[in-house]
Amino acid sequence: MSLDAAVPRLAERGWAAALALALRAVILLLLVLVVVQSAIVVHARPQDLVTGVFGMADIIRRAMPPDFAKIDLVWWPALETVDIAIFGTLGGIIMALPLAILAAENVTPSRPLYYAARGVIGFARAVPDLVWALLFVTAVGLGPFPGALALSVHSIGMLGRLFAETIEQMDMAPIDALTLTGARRMQVFSHGVVPSILPALTGIALYRLDENIRSSLVLGFVGAGGIGFELLSAMSLFQYQLVSLYLIITFIIVIAAERLSALVRARLA
Amino acid sequence: MLRVAGLTMRYPNGKVALAGFDLSVAAGELVVVLGGNGSGKTTLLRCVSRMLRPSAGEIWLNGVDLAALYGERLRQARLPLAMIWQHASLVRRRSVLSNVAAGGLGRHGGLWTAFGGLPAAERRAALYHLSEVGLPHLAAQRAGTLSGGQAQRVAIARALTQRPQALLADEPVASLDPEAADDIMRLLRHLAAEDNLAVLCVLHQVELAYAYADRVVGIRDGRMAFDLPSADVPREAVRQLYLSEAA
Repeated sequence: MSLDAAVPRLAERGWAAALALALRAVILLLLVLVVVQSAIVVHARPQDLVTGVFGMADIIRRAMPPDFAKIDLVWWPALETVDIAIFGTLGGIIMALPLAILAAENVTPSRPLYYAARGVIGFARAVPDLVWALLFVTAVGLGPFPGALALSVHSIGMLGRLFAETIEQMDMAPIDALTLTGARRMQVFSHGVVPSILPALTGIALYRLDENIRSSLVLGFVGAGGIGFELLSAMSLFQYQLVSLYLIITFIIVIAAERLSALVRARLA
Repeated sequence: MLRVAGLTMRYPNGKVALAGFDLSVAAGELVVVLGGNGSGKTTLLRCVSRMLRPSAGEIWLNGVDLAALYGERLRQARLPLAMIWQHASLVRRRSVLSNVAAGGLGRHGGLWTAFGGLPAAERRAALYHLSEVGLPHLAAQRAGTLSGGQAQRVAIARALTQRPQALLADEPVASLDPEAADDIMRLLRHLAAEDNLAVLCVLHQVELAYAYADRVVGIRDGRMAFDLPSADVPREAVRQLYLSEAA
């Protein structure tokens, strides 16, 4: 290329580079504006953190040492917390699996059912588990059962969506091959679809169980049983040493569930 | 045994993949279909197996026109027609034996098989057919651990458990090395002769067609170019099939 021809091109490139730089500056400015407006909206006051340090230190001082003498009070709520998550996850799986089959494009029997199932899954996910818990506490009263129901319904959202995606990504060749052997729909499902996707579904369900154990702790705050409920009661009665005991047990449960879930999922992979 | 008459397949986009195709395969005969890419070979097998519904024409199997059937009646009528594919299409996480035994599911109704059970008779039959393809020692192994050639043999054993009278094979050796490809074609040849199967096989490997087929059918632009005993197929006629693709 001659020098005369190259010069206009370099000039063009210079304009393009300047434009790209200006665009980046605008994007950066917008990001700064977003951060600033969020700080204003949440009334962010860093000085409160400094003055609040003494209050936090006071609570920690009163929470120490944890009241291990009352450990007997913890076992039952701890079991309740884990069982709320187990029941909630199982209920979620039972409801999510048929919905996922309807909501998977490659196996759904009809388009109206596909959209209906996607709608149910989306709605279950859109409503937070705390709101579901409040609704069920109102419906069936205080205790662990409304917590388990809330987790069941909310789990449909995540489980249904991920189950459906797993089914959609499944290799269809073995399914087509089984269908052509003359196997019936249910036979194709149980002999072809289920073995192909079971490890992935199990991994997703275990991950959800891990999430649900953490959620079931919070659900207790709205009266849905478990350690959360006891934790709130202890805080209301200023029994901070009991609070710290509950927090230690909570920490152990969450970490144990997370490790166990990760271990099993790694073996399934 | 298997007869196709006036088979026509026009796709929704207007492309005519098959235009009045006629073909018959007798019991005990191995017929190989040769043709370039897009010539209509795979569409032919997909129509014959009724994975696709042909736009027109007849597909006669045991005196029943599959093209005229739907739903449960089609499922029943198609039972004697088995198919193997380029990739073995096995359920990778199940054992070899379970994969092979699943070929017999179509004969069984009831809750036991609907919920994942396999009848003992089918397990025994599966083991027999695994022996037939030379792999009884792999029965307990997971299907996902097999080599390409082994997997294709297992797929053939699954097809045999179906107790077919006709076998369709869609490029069954396309992803295999030459030795494994020879093994599979020898096995198909043997099954056609010994089990009196009508075998219709789509291939790209011309030499395998010459070596193993009773008849070779050439297909070009959805129409039959020739249908001759393999010994009588002129090399030039085969070359023309692929020349039209290059053009």
